[in-house]
Amino acid sequence: MPAALIEVDAVSKSFEIPSVRRETLREHLFGVLEPRKFERLQVLDRISFELKAGETLGIMGRNGCGKSTLLKILCGIYTPDAGAVRVHTGITPILELGVGWNPELDAIDNVFLIGTVMGLPLREVESRLEDILAFAEVERFARLKLKHYSSGMASRLAYAVAFHAVREVLVLDEIFAVGDEGFKAKCENRYRQLRADGHSILLVSHAPPVMAAFCDRVIVIEGGRIIADTDPASGVSCYISTTARTPAAQRESTA
Amino acid sequence: MTVSAEIRTPSTGPDRPADSAPRPSPRASANASVWGLVWTLVRTDFKARYHGTPSGFLWALLKPTAMFVVLVAVFSLIFRGEPNYKLNLIIGLFLWNFFAEATTVGMGSLAAKGFLVTKARFPRWILVVTSIANALITLVVFGAVVTVYLIATGRGPSPLAVLAFGFYIACLATIAIGLSLGSSVLFLRFRDLNQIWDMTTQAGFFLAPIVYPLGVIPERYHFYLYLWPPTPAIEFSRAAMVAGVLPTSTAHAYLALMAGGILSVGIMVFRRYAPRAAEYV
Repeated sequence: MPAALIEVDAVSKSFEIPSVRRETLREHLFGVLEPRKFERLQVLDRISFELKAGETLGIMGRNGCGKSTLLKILCGIYTPDAGAVRVHTGITPILELGVGWNPELDAIDNVFLIGTVMGLPLREVESRLEDILAFAEVERFARLKLKHYSSGMASRLAYAVAFHAVREVLVLDEIFAVGDEGFKAKCENRYRQLRADGHSILLVSHAPPVMAAFCDRVIVIEGGRIIADTDPASGVSCYISTTARTPAAQRESTA
Repeated sequence: MTVSAEIRTPSTGPDRPADSAPRPSPRASANASVWGLVWTLVRTDFKARYHGTPSGFLWALLKPTAMFVVLVAVFSLIFRGEPNYKLNLIIGLFLWNFFAEATTVGMGSLAAKGFLVTKARFPRWILVVTSIANALITLVVFGAVVTVYLIATGRGPSPLAVLAFGFYIACLATIAIGLSLGSSVLFLRFRDLNQIWDMTTQAGFFLAPIVYPLGVIPERYHFYLYLWPPTPAIEFSRAAMVAGVLPTSTAHAYLALMAGGILSVGIMVFRRYAPRAAEYV
């Protein structure tokens, strides 16, 4: 039994940003004589950490620091340039909440689609369907196409799937970001219940109170590297100090 | 998501969940979830396409039938002397329609399901292969209708001929899947590929002997026409179902090899580019 459920070993990822984007054969053909310059953007630079069983790990960092890219690599959606991710268990990834519905299908079919994509067998989706619709408070609209949903209803449904389609590890990107107070409280209760059941959770958030309240450990990423791997309180203060170092703030301090 | 999946660097790595799970139970559940996904995709595609009503499905049969009526009005005068012209025409039309629709939808399958590609790790090929299901359902229903019609009019094909017809449909479906696997990942990088394919299928409609009998073309050009995949599938189907003459085993081997070859190339291209598909969606 490995103590770590997910091992991230020196993972690096960079993107090549071309000076001109060419998305069609026509552009490539007519652009043959005009070579492009490529700028390499190092998003992640030898990131290593472990997620242990039963642990809630928070990841903080400024916008564009590579958090979402890291989560996508962990979930197997992106492949890293170097390094390895060893996943010893089932992951439920909840990324980019609220988008990713098929607007032409109703709530039930969308839940089936997302559920099976996340690796749940049909039987399990079926057995959890009622709970999901009830949690999202959309039972009355279960057969309504998603294109007729309000954005609030659509994101409540996403949260509901997130909290009920859980495998051993739950990966949450910016959860608790929207929703009214009543629904937020419901999410937090469900979240505590999952944690009490022994699920491990990887949580990305910008909100210090969320981190302080829910995480056992916090990692702070800056410039593609881990600059702190510590207890929530120190992690949050480290994160706040990085946000103070915005380019604008730096210019002010040197002026 | 997978059990014991190791995500490593290779850009050419197979884009499927590692099935290196040491215990049998997770693998069984992984299989169950793959079938659950396949079934859900086929079901929801069908529903979205036909608005969830069986009568909506009639439109799928109506489109080639309407084309048939128009073409019969024009060409049956020209090819008046041809035996079984109408029957050959409708068989050609439905096979062609399947090929054109399956390859077009297949090319756009990853782009259209991008919202799933960026959500989780699952075998991407499932999206491509299931995308041809709608077109295949239409063709199989048509095949059943034609068989019943032939039996009812006293020209029932032999069981072997029906079996052969099924084999040609399977080969054409394999070809469509092979083309779709390759084109779906390339389409993510070259977004005008669908326009090129649109032009190709427009010309290809006349390259295949659909509205005209192959016999009107000089024999020495037949070889080139047979290089276009729909041609052998259409000609062999007509021979088995209408003329009651089974093609030679060499002909069967040719079609099977063509299907296998196109599928292999499609899989190679797919394995090369699919691992980074999420970055291009």
